Amino acid sequence: MSRSVMWWLPRGLLLGLFAFFIFGPLVNLVLWSVAESWFWPNRLPSQYGFRFWERVFRPEGQAMESLWLSIWIASLTTLLCLAVSVPAAWALAKANLRWRAAILMLFLLPQAFPNLPVYINIARIFFTFDLNGTVIGVVLVHAAHGLVYSIWIATAAFAAVDDDLELAARNIGASALTAFRTVTLPLAAPGIAASAVFVFLESLDEFTASYFVGAPEVRTLPLLLFSAAAGGNMQVAAITALILLVPSVLFMLIVERFLRAEVLAKVGK
Amino acid sequence: MLPYLLLAPALFVVGAFFLVPLAFSVGGAFEGPQGPTLANLANAASLYRMDLLFTLLIVVASTALTGLGAVAIGGYLTLGRSKLALRLLGAMYRWPLFIPFIVAAQAMRGFIGQNGLMNNTLVWIGLMPQEWAQSFLDWRGIVITFVWKQLPFATLLVAGAMAALDRSGIEAAQNLGANRLRILIGIVIPQVARNIMVALVLSFVTMMSVLSVPMMISGQSPTMLTVAMAWRINSFGDYGTANALGLVSCVMTGLVAWVWLRQAAAERAR
Amino acid sequence: MDRRTFLAATAALAATPALAQQRVTLNVLTAGDQNMVDYITDYLGPMFQRQNPGVTVRSLGTGPGDAGSQRIWERLEAQRRANTNSVDVDVAVVHQTMAGRMVAEGLLARYRDQAATGQLATSDVTRNALGQNVDGFVLPMFNSQIALAYNPARVANPPRSFAELENWVKQNPRRFGYNGIRGGMSGVGFVFGWAYAFGPDQKRLIEGPFDAEAVSALTPAFQRLREFNRNVVITPGNAGTLDAMNRGEIDMGPVWMDMFYSWQAEGRLNPAYRLVLPESGMPGQPMYYVIPARAANSDVARRFIELATSPPVQAEGIVRRFNWLPGIDAQHVRQHLDQQTWDRLFRDVGPDQLARGARPMPQADFMRALQEAYERVVLN
Repeated sequence: MSRSVMWWLPRGLLLGLFAFFIFGPLVNLVLWSVAESWFWPNRLPSQYGFRFWERVFRPEGQAMESLWLSIWIASLTTLLCLAVSVPAAWALAKANLRWRAAILMLFLLPQAFPNLPVYINIARIFFTFDLNGTVIGVVLVHAAHGLVYSIWIATAAFAAVDDDLELAARNIGASALTAFRTVTLPLAAPGIAASAVFVFLESLDEFTASYFVGAPEVRTLPLLLFSAAAGGNMQVAAITALILLVPSVLFMLIVERFLRAEVLAKVGK
Repeated sequence: MLPYLLLAPALFVVGAFFLVPLAFSVGGAFEGPQGPTLANLANAASLYRMDLLFTLLIVVASTALTGLGAVAIGGYLTLGRSKLALRLLGAMYRWPLFIPFIVAAQAMRGFIGQNGLMNNTLVWIGLMPQEWAQSFLDWRGIVITFVWKQLPFATLLVAGAMAALDRSGIEAAQNLGANRLRILIGIVIPQVARNIMVALVLSFVTMMSVLSVPMMISGQSPTMLTVAMAWRINSFGDYGTANALGLVSCVMTGLVAWVWLRQAAAERAR
Repeated sequence: MDRRTFLAATAALAATPALAQQRVTLNVLTAGDQNMVDYITDYLGPMFQRQNPGVTVRSLGTGPGDAGSQRIWERLEAQRRANTNSVDVDVAVVHQTMAGRMVAEGLLARYRDQAATGQLATSDVTRNALGQNVDGFVLPMFNSQIALAYNPARVANPPRSFAELENWVKQNPRRFGYNGIRGGMSGVGFVFGWAYAFGPDQKRLIEGPFDAEAVSALTPAFQRLREFNRNVVITPGNAGTLDAMNRGEIDMGPVWMDMFYSWQAEGRLNPAYRLVLPESGMPGQPMYYVIPARAANSDVARRFIELATSPPVQAEGIVRRFNWLPGIDAQHVRQHLDQQTWDRLFRDVGPDQLARGARPMPQADFMRALQEAYERVVLN
């Protein structure tokens, strides 16, 4: 008995601390979203209610509209990214490219460079093409940003598919395309799906590019959150944040289904 | 030829919507009212060198902590024996994975303040006297938020790689009576070193370009370069200095990427 | 359709103004915090639509701070460069700096003399925006003022001057907070107030003309601020200062008065907290309604601004619902307000105190130079 207590106590404490670290900030959000009155020296809200939920979802309020718009943009971005990155990833995984490492790096660049000045210059370029403040404009920029996920993860997924399987298909007479379509692609599909999830969420949560290229016409949910947070409206910011959290948590719960360890081990290799 | 054709559309997207504006931005760093100039860089250096140092310290510290945490959690998930603890940890660590930085910053702001939820809870449980409560809304807050947000991502990559390892080496060492810490350091980490590097490089560059977290967590100075850039543009419409600052952080991330590339090349040569 | 409804319908049609016949979409771009956008979307827009059937008000926020105004400027400038026949912004709400620049660059239409409410606003800011003559091009939406918020339980005698504040901070280290100069105008305004108080020539800073020596004459004042900063907390943003007060982490700090009242009304700030305006003055600023030159619907736009600057709307919308100081002269607004609302507006800082302590922001060139001087002297 005492041994098992000794055994569990440190683990329990550590796990508890970790849970506190992970969930504490989220609890803070939830509390703010239902706080009608919360100020020091009260440790917890002194008045609870859903007044601010009503305000966020009022007919003039743009929360729902922004949510659907964000989802629409994220879907288009995902489609675009998959369309260009499945062939590219296959090439990177299967063909013996001389510049492979450099090309992989290239796709990392949009994540690597502090994007603020880039977006400003994009906005300037887009002005001449009338792309500023359009959904297409935002999708294109999000796609450039999300490609690192779709390419890297899809490359890893293709690399994890055993070459022999495709060879076997070719040996029994399948064309290269058929072999790819019936053997390689299905085997890599979970990894590709996972990469799609990453791109989707990246786009859903993207703030800086939407701000410079999309706003004010294209009002995605993160933009709504930003203006609420910058204006100090804690309750509205918390509620908007919680809405954004729903897809994030959903995908977080299922991502492991798609991302197998063998694929993860190959990311960036 | 075919592989490059397959790559072309993806390269076009990155080229047109990233590289070209990036080139504009780099050009802008050397652009003055009277033709090419170094004045922007000089201005950036004289006003923001502390910010540069600060950014580097913050990001390096956050990356290091993220790496440590990811290895610790990944290691436990690989070598841990208690089913229950494994399941709890596995279910917990991923929560912030997809939470946007802006939401993370908003959530942290009320959590780690002097009288924030964290200190309040600790005082309430009785773990800490009220007088000890201090605000973490400064550089530490930025590091905490970064680690909170990046840890799941790094852990996902690292733990994934560890799970894919051939377990026979680990089992052999266990049979020889090696303790788990030594197995982790001596056997597991060397084999997944590259995955750890990938996770850290990705985390490093991501954190380099975050604007919302330093902006919302700490108003203190020095601050991160992204804040300085946004400030030059929003308050002065000064794209020159902002682009110069952008160039500087690009060089910083470029150095990290170069180290990584070199390592990758070395490995390939082996 | 029977005869009576037919008659009623004809009468209604005849009574509505001509513009009701065509469908018009009025594009209103607002630079500033979310509450300003909410004001147009929730209050003013629907009211204007009710009074003018056939008009749809499309309200867009371009983001807080000068950056928001910058976006409106970029848009107007881009359309001018593209040589479009008409611009797609009908009404814009902009900050002072940008209003001055837009007037100087000829991007705006002169409308105040044609507006029925044009004569209701006579204060200095309707003619002068940070040294730039804007007479005839602008009408103030509202005025807002920076003041020091404090917790009466901890600050028994609130400071009446910057020197007293300096002393208080020395005795109470890290209990005063402001948002530096990178995080929003309340912090910037505090720095300007400091320069007004401890610099040699306040009048010069406000009225110009600009010269670099006047900026270097401020170096001792900024060095003093550097000392002062050692004992204060720097908060993130306008809201950050209020946020720190919400959690009791500081006892005093400069805030926008309207934000302060809104925070109290929405349960984010202890209702016992109060405001004080130091004698040597702190800056405030109006937001301006402007109509771009070549706006597609400039007549409807003018009507919209007439409604927005009419005394009942200024009383109900600006003062009662959103806690701003009226944009038009206060005596026109007063009669539309009950005593209680009026008292609430001036609860902490009375009209006399306001008259003594309210200052404009510095002249535009000084404004920029002061911010850079702060970065150079105080931060490095």
